[in-house]
Amino acid sequence: MPRPLILALVALAIETAPCSAQLVVQGIRDLDFGTVIQGVAATVTASDPTRSGQFYFKTPALGTRIRIQFTLPTQLNGPSGATMPITFGTSDAMAKGTAPTSNPVSFNPNTTATFTMTSSVDANVWLGGRVTPAAAQRVGSYSNTVVMTVTIF
Amino acid sequence: MRLFTTVSVAVLASLSLAGSAAAQTSGTINAKALVRQPITITNGQDLDFGIVIQGTAKSISETAAAAGRFDATGTASANVNVNFTLPANLTSGANNLPIGTWTGCYNQSAAVNSSGCTTIASMAGTTATAFGNVAGAGRLWVFVGATVTPGAAQAVGSYTNLVTLTLTYF
Repeated sequence: MPRPLILALVALAIETAPCSAQLVVQGIRDLDFGTVIQGVAATVTASDPTRSGQFYFKTPALGTRIRIQFTLPTQLNGPSGATMPITFGTSDAMAKGTAPTSNPVSFNPNTTATFTMTSSVDANVWLGGRVTPAAAQRVGSYSNTVVMTVTIF
Repeated sequence: MRLFTTVSVAVLASLSLAGSAAAQTSGTINAKALVRQPITITNGQDLDFGIVIQGTAKSISETAAAAGRFDATGTASANVNVNFTLPANLTSGANNLPIGTWTGCYNQSAAVNSSGCTTIASMAGTTATAFGNVAGAGRLWVFVGATVTPGAAQAVGSYTNLVTLTLTYF
């Protein structure tokens, strides 16, 4: 009687291991607005080669279907409790596989995006955005966290 | 037999949930910005050579009373790059009066060039400095000098041109 139970456990363990072992998501580069002037909105596009935020992810195999979802802040936090609004437009995210044949795809970071990995198992995702400092915005450094979550389904 | 069936279903459910959780992974970056005050630059004083004699070059040092002066405000202690757009001639209608050998200095605490004015090594290049902190306000005074070289037959008249200072946060 115990033998079938043990076999079932082993088989299931092998089947579930690849997903946990091979799905990788990494933050590569901060979304950096640089110097922003009081009262002057500043925009960074997803295609900006130095200021756009960048993530990298790797999936287990070609054909993998994934969902990309961002946790986006609505404000950056500054000195002495000051805050500054930050927004993300409908084309402020861009994904591109690492294969030479991969094409960049713009998408809305405010909603969940679905992709199938057809030309490469890994890809980069770039993120732009817009900050709107007030005319009397407190000077200093502002920041907040952006999280990108990849889910295989 | 009944016991085995029950245990197997429990194990299946458990592993299935574990597999779904493991197939979701997150990465994190920061969104960041550095807020600064707008930079303002006003004409503190023109660079004025006064009367110049045909065939006689005339120089005004950046530390002279007649030196040109820019008065700038910005964020206290913030780094800025200093750049100039300098003319090669002063003009009077179609006539040109060559101007060159530009010199400069900056003061972070007062509109004074006779002392405490830091020499700008290259007027053609970029000079990195910072706004001073004058009672909490960002201030910078920039002075310029130059040499005009009128020809022996230089057309008489009033000559002028623009000198532009550009300050950029970095």
